[in-house]
Amino acid sequence: MKHSQPSKFKYLALLLIISAILFFGLDLFLGSVDIPFKNIFSILFGNATEKESWKIIIFQSRLPKAIAATLCGGALSVCGLQMQTLFRNPLAGPYILGISSGAGLGVAIFVMGLSFLGISSIGFTANSGIIISSILGSFGVLAILLSIINRLKDIMTVLILGIMIGSVITAIIGIIQYFSQDAQLKSFIMWTMGSLSSITSNELMLLAPIVIVGLILSFITSKNLNAYLLGESYAKSLGVNIKQSRIVIILITSVLTGSITAYCGPIGFIGIVIPHLARIISNSSDHRILIPLSILLGINVLLIADIISQLPGLDQSLPINSITSVRGIPFIIWIILKNKKIKNLN
Amino acid sequence: MKNGVHISNLAIGYNHKTILENINLESETNKMIALFGRNGQGKSTLLKTISGLLPSINGNFKFEGIDILKLSEKERAKLLSIVSTTQTSIGGITVKDFIAFGRFPYTNWLGINTTKDYQEIDNAITLCKLTNLANRNYDELSDGEKQKVNIARAIAQNTPLIILDEPTVHLDLINKIEVFKLLKELSNNHNKTIIISTHQIEYALQICDEIWLINNAQVNTYSPNTLINENKLSELFDEEIISFDKDSQSFRLK
Repeated sequence: MKHSQPSKFKYLALLLIISAILFFGLDLFLGSVDIPFKNIFSILFGNATEKESWKIIIFQSRLPKAIAATLCGGALSVCGLQMQTLFRNPLAGPYILGISSGAGLGVAIFVMGLSFLGISSIGFTANSGIIISSILGSFGVLAILLSIINRLKDIMTVLILGIMIGSVITAIIGIIQYFSQDAQLKSFIMWTMGSLSSITSNELMLLAPIVIVGLILSFITSKNLNAYLLGESYAKSLGVNIKQSRIVIILITSVLTGSITAYCGPIGFIGIVIPHLARIISNSSDHRILIPLSILLGINVLLIADIISQLPGLDQSLPINSITSVRGIPFIIWIILKNKKIKNLN
Repeated sequence: MKNGVHISNLAIGYNHKTILENINLESETNKMIALFGRNGQGKSTLLKTISGLLPSINGNFKFEGIDILKLSEKERAKLLSIVSTTQTSIGGITVKDFIAFGRFPYTNWLGINTTKDYQEIDNAITLCKLTNLANRNYDELSDGEKQKVNIARAIAQNTPLIILDEPTVHLDLINKIEVFKLLKELSNNHNKTIIISTHQIEYALQICDEIWLINNAQVNTYSPNTLINENKLSELFDEEIISFDKDSQSFRLK
């Protein structure tokens, strides 16, 4: 809406695209095995290379991981932004509100629970089954939160509720784990530890289109999200069909969070932090600017996190969740202490 | 009669708990109508219901023959705009951007303003005398300024009907009078029908064309003069404490 904003935003976007490409390249370049940079290029463009093992490392490990980081960063940041606007809560995000846990419950029921019924969750159905159950799980939590949010005036209560739902779900997952067989338990534990590196290129073929469609749909909701800034009454008086748009936004967020969590495990704090970063950098609350900016910032930040997690010299890569938390939590504390505008979303 | 504002047999309330029922009111278009009533009598509920924010229990509300309550949000947004007591607070938005929200029902899926939209926005800014504030940050404004910006947003929405729920409640004397005068100007010269709930009874009596009075679960229409002459306002309050003086047209403490 601002006249001067678009040009500034264009430069910013361009800068972030360039840096994302650089970080993507760096992410391919760095790792426990040293591969010369020019070889990476020749491998990527399908040319012959000195060692066959390099090709395998790039195509089966580093490239899927870098793509996963890109998808994850973009998707989780946009989910956080949408939830912050929808819940009118600056601390909302997929992780804190228990939506990632919901996805976890979905996967737990799928991986461990189904074996009770004699259905095998390993094999052909596993790939899409995990994604669907994870999406259903996150959708369930979001639906519960939204049905309650209408009855509560105080937004902080919603946050506490999200944390409580998260704990209840963790408890339920614990019970399921207790009763499940070794094989299923192991494959679930593997999932919870799952990092960006556990993703395969086959899984990416499913995840990438879901995320890309989700992000495009998010951008289409940006006009309605802008109206939500005025509060629900005003949004309604401006012609927004609240019930309908709410469901659409929730569906998009649960599909994005669910599918990302299904493959990468719960990755914390990106969803809360990035939208604030986007607001601070752009000094705007216009979602038509904030959504693309959050996507780009999220991609950059998660690629950096991934680079840190596998810095040369480390024998094993660190879990990406620790890195996003270590960097995210101080930022959230800073938001709470420093930013008086936190009340702006009320 | 097809023209004007028609409320017939309306029952309002929350969750089927009726607060007021059998409300029948009518008025001509382009009038400024004030809604009086003590706290808790259902002023806000009535305004929320006829703005479509709250479902009605029974009855209908017609404006120029159109059943407002049966319209979709989108259709209604082109006929009716609202201004409420609650101040919204948004960071990182200029006054002009805020007023541009009024164009929301008319813009495309991405909310891009056309030349016509900018004309309406500028027009609203001029009408509300906000030219000096147009590029200021909305959050830095005083309460009075914010409320005027909110009214400008409703004007930019370009609806024939504007409903305001106690818009002057946080404002100082000068700002209150300015808001009333602005609303009067809108109904006199810009073809707007204004429905406003207010506790500013003394100003409203001087400025408004009609009064809707809620008292003892009844809603009735009066002209300001009959309201004064029939001494209806004293009935509204505890006569031991306060009474309405017909000659000075103001309340007197006892």
